[in-house]
Amino acid sequence: MASSSKKVHKVEDDSEEEEEFEHFDDYTLASSWERFISEIEAVCRQWLASGPKNLLEKGAVPSGEPKNLYKVKSELKYAMKNYCMEYYFEISNAGIRKPADWNSSLHDLQLSFGVKEFMVIAPQSANGVILDSPEASKLLSAVAIAFSNCSSLWPAFVPVHDPSRKAYIGIQNMGTVFTRRFEGDLIATQVPVKLMHLEGLYELFVSKFAFSSSDLSTHFFRVHFTMKLTYKTLPYDDDNEEIKSEYEINESGQDNGVDNRNKLQWDDDCPWSEWYTAEDPLKAFELIATWDEKTVESSMEMAELENVSIHEAHKWFIVPEFSSYLMGDYMGHMVGFASQLGLLIDALAISLDVKFMEDFVSGLFEASGSDKLKSSAVVPPPTVLDRVLKDLCHEGPEVISPESRHKSSRIIKGAPLETLFAQFCLHSLWFGDCNIRAIAVLWIEFIREVRWCWEESQPLPRMPVKGTIDLSTCLVNQKLQMLAICIEKRRQQLDSHQDGVGDSNSDSPSVEVEANEDLSHTLRAKESLIKESHSTSTSNANLESSNNNNTRRGSAGVVETMMLLNSPNYMHAPFTQDPPIMTEDMHEERLRAVEVLGDSFNFSGQLEKDILSSDMSAFKAANPEAAFEDFIRWHSPKDWEDDSSSSSSSRKKWPPGGKLSDRMSDPGNSWRKIWNDAPPLPASEQKPLMDPNREGEKILHYLETVRPHQLLEQMVCTAFQAAADTLNQTNFGGLKNMTTKIDQLYPTMASALRPLQANKFPGDPEIIEDLKRLCVVFEHVEKLITLAASLHRKFLHAPRLSQTIFNNFYNFYLPKMGKASVGGDTNKELVNKKEEVRVNERDVVTSMFIQPSANQSWRKVLSMGNLLNGHEPITREIVFSLRDRMDSSYHAPKSQWSHEQEIETHRMYICGTSNDLRVALSVTSCD
Amino acid sequence: MDASSVSEFDYLFKLLMIGDSGVGKSSLLLSFTSDTFEELSPTIGVDFKVKHVTLGGKKLKLAIWDTAGQERFRTLTSSYYRGAQGIIMVYDVTRRETFTNLSDIWAKEIDLYSTNQDCIKMLVGNKVDKENERVVTKKEGIDFAREYGCLFIECSAKTRVNVEQCFEELVLKILDTPSLTSEGSTTVKRNNIFSQKPPVSDDSASGCC
Repeated sequence: MASSSKKVHKVEDDSEEEEEFEHFDDYTLASSWERFISEIEAVCRQWLASGPKNLLEKGAVPSGEPKNLYKVKSELKYAMKNYCMEYYFEISNAGIRKPADWNSSLHDLQLSFGVKEFMVIAPQSANGVILDSPEASKLLSAVAIAFSNCSSLWPAFVPVHDPSRKAYIGIQNMGTVFTRRFEGDLIATQVPVKLMHLEGLYELFVSKFAFSSSDLSTHFFRVHFTMKLTYKTLPYDDDNEEIKSEYEINESGQDNGVDNRNKLQWDDDCPWSEWYTAEDPLKAFELIATWDEKTVESSMEMAELENVSIHEAHKWFIVPEFSSYLMGDYMGHMVGFASQLGLLIDALAISLDVKFMEDFVSGLFEASGSDKLKSSAVVPPPTVLDRVLKDLCHEGPEVISPESRHKSSRIIKGAPLETLFAQFCLHSLWFGDCNIRAIAVLWIEFIREVRWCWEESQPLPRMPVKGTIDLSTCLVNQKLQMLAICIEKRRQQLDSHQDGVGDSNSDSPSVEVEANEDLSHTLRAKESLIKESHSTSTSNANLESSNNNNTRRGSAGVVETMMLLNSPNYMHAPFTQDPPIMTEDMHEERLRAVEVLGDSFNFSGQLEKDILSSDMSAFKAANPEAAFEDFIRWHSPKDWEDDSSSSSSSRKKWPPGGKLSDRMSDPGNSWRKIWNDAPPLPASEQKPLMDPNREGEKILHYLETVRPHQLLEQMVCTAFQAAADTLNQTNFGGLKNMTTKIDQLYPTMASALRPLQANKFPGDPEIIEDLKRLCVVFEHVEKLITLAASLHRKFLHAPRLSQTIFNNFYNFYLPKMGKASVGGDTNKELVNKKEEVRVNERDVVTSMFIQPSANQSWRKVLSMGNLLNGHEPITREIVFSLRDRMDSSYHAPKSQWSHEQEIETHRMYICGTSNDLRVALSVTSCD
Repeated sequence: MDASSVSEFDYLFKLLMIGDSGVGKSSLLLSFTSDTFEELSPTIGVDFKVKHVTLGGKKLKLAIWDTAGQERFRTLTSSYYRGAQGIIMVYDVTRRETFTNLSDIWAKEIDLYSTNQDCIKMLVGNKVDKENERVVTKKEGIDFAREYGCLFIECSAKTRVNVEQCFEELVLKILDTPSLTSEGSTTVKRNNIFSQKPPVSDDSASGCC
């Protein structure tokens, strides 16, 4: 059609200039109606002459739904009324479309009447378009006259009745002989039963060209027919028990137990469900099944089509319906980690001026005149507090597995997810509404529990007692870690006092250990244990140790390759004290002390000297005849230069040849000085390098007096990390985009949280702002993860679909991320994109249409047929068409029909739901 | 650290020296901080020096931590990795095992204990004055540095060849890495992460030789 109209323009382009003079109309004599017609004609000529490309340049606007459809409009006046004329045209008009191509998106009028470009003229009025039939016909004939004057081949439509009916009449001049007429209307209520079924609809169509009803039964018409059925799953939110039973079938393969009707949330086994329940981001799915064109010859055939299986449809598409919160309509109102983290940041913002956490509880804070803490800051009742503390301190897992953390999690200074402080932070997010007062109450009670563990020497819950202190975690976690170790040491001391000292060593008389106040139980246990194992494995050692029965103490075993220098005995490695453990503030304290001392030439840490001295004492005790050189050979082998290159034969050679390195043999060597001063004492008798009682008390003092803002800063970091780690455990089937997003989240969090960790600018409003922005980012990721999880579980057996749907949404969503508000829905079609379902995925999709329960089917009276697992289509669209072979000589030579032998004489588009029916008819006739 | 020192320098960087015992870490440090070379007692645990330098127009305070190589001290020295912006791995070009231990032991220690993802690593081959005793070639050093993504230089604490350059190069690289400079900065100059690109990934931050 476009090509033909273009050819028309060309002729007119050439003659337009002269025409304006030749066809001079005397409007003074013409009637207002005639003037109206010529006005339409003028506009039409202008548009015809411009062609789509120029119209685009002149400011045609996209019409919306189908992307390549544009429109221009012009306003006209007739009989005191304003009219608006709109011309819709397509930009990329590649090829002629099939009569009903369900796959491409079409403008409503295009779909209804099978047209491509078209014109709509309607009165302009504020309260909607209302045209009665005579007015509509008058308007349409005005257009028809104008169009034939300017040889336009565009179809023109006029709306009739009120807009909700979508009723139109229209006309199209098809060249010399044919005219097409259009008519469409809607039955909004009480659709006759006959028209609810395919058979009746077929007869309706046939009645439009059959001459009598008797004809119907005797005459067979070759009617072309295509169909599109749209189904919709039951909304997921309403019927959770259904979904649960569905998943039982999917995952266990077992039959659905009738009694399994417990109300279960969809995300019950998602990692976040411990803390909150997310609304299912997927409300429902629409399934669109389309049938390609087929020929129907009788109403019997049509009736059968109503029972045909949906699996026979040529194509299936699925359209997800996302929850509105996902679409950004309720930005910031979704309850999740992000929302709670936002509240925690608010708490941080008001924590600065207060000295102790207790002040928030005692009301001192309010009395001081600050109105920042609203009186609405509610603390949950004691029962809730008890439950939280019980969960926190008494129901922890036995084993802490740090492996579940994201690889980048460590860059945030928080605490491992399973550990005490991380769990405390997560609990406080959901304790009350995470206001500062509730946090303070929880913290005070929490520390009371911790103090109780300390006083009673009970192991701290959720804290590992082994290993070193992880300095990449926050200070509170380090303190708790150290406290757990101190408690463990204390417990060992207590055990050793209770057990009676002699017991553990009774069977190895060669080692004499005296009970000592500072004696460490582990050391002694280790000593006796290794002693035993060595006494069996190396008889030589056993012999020796019994020789030196009274002097050798605290040996961990023989160093087999080494003989002592001054006596023909093997060297014994001593048990040594564990190096003291330190939290980062202790390290910093040391560093500051060192800085104060300045870079004095021979600085060495006192602590390290103590350790060295302790090692030397233990070595002396284990090797009574040892010399300084022996110690160096064991402790710093590189400072001993062997005479000969050592070989296995020289192993037992005595005395071993060699000398100390130059630096060790230096007379002023500090090592030798320490050696000379060190008394021979086994580690178990030495003064401990770390006093667990003292350190434990110091830690509790820190925890009990921590400045609120320091605590809140650590809580914010830890809460962000723990929330991210929790979400990271979500199983979403490894969607690549999601994984990348999570990978990006950690560095983003790390850099936003860094100012808090550095503790440089407490209370800087800019930091709070940054954190708020981080919450927004977090919320985006949280939403995406929720969606990914929901998709994954719904399409467990069709991962391609979940992936494609997620990617579609992700691409739509991505540009909006990082913005506080998601404005407009310009890209909505991207989200509601149809996704084709492959044949092997059809079963998965079908299984989502579970048989409605009695309760649900009761709500609806099924009336249309074409059922899918008891679901009726929500809409059924049909296009009937009848074609007739025409002699091409009848047509205008330039017409597009010249290469198509058949023309569509009748076309009917029917769109029905269970409540209404829309019918649009186009008839081509020879006038 | 404290408020009074703010005006004295623009950045405070913490550097850490690691490597087997006797490779010359302390000598290297002494050579850098006081321009002298002497036979030193083996470090007990850890040593610490401060040096003020001006590089790239910035006044810098370098706190250099020199750790003991002995195995016994290793559990304790692990804590000194914390917050270091630069780590200097030293080996002795005349003793092969000090070189192989870098990959067998020390590199693993860094991965384990360093809290700073972007921290700059530098490989230093010491004692090049003993050229006739050399067993580790320069090429081997370069290959290791490339594989491990760190800077590389050979020097001699005794003759002071390349000693200055060693520290300078490391510090310049740190100055080039925004996440490190923001940490060490003493002035209020925070970047808004939301108004610019996401933070630099560690791949681009770790340089090569």
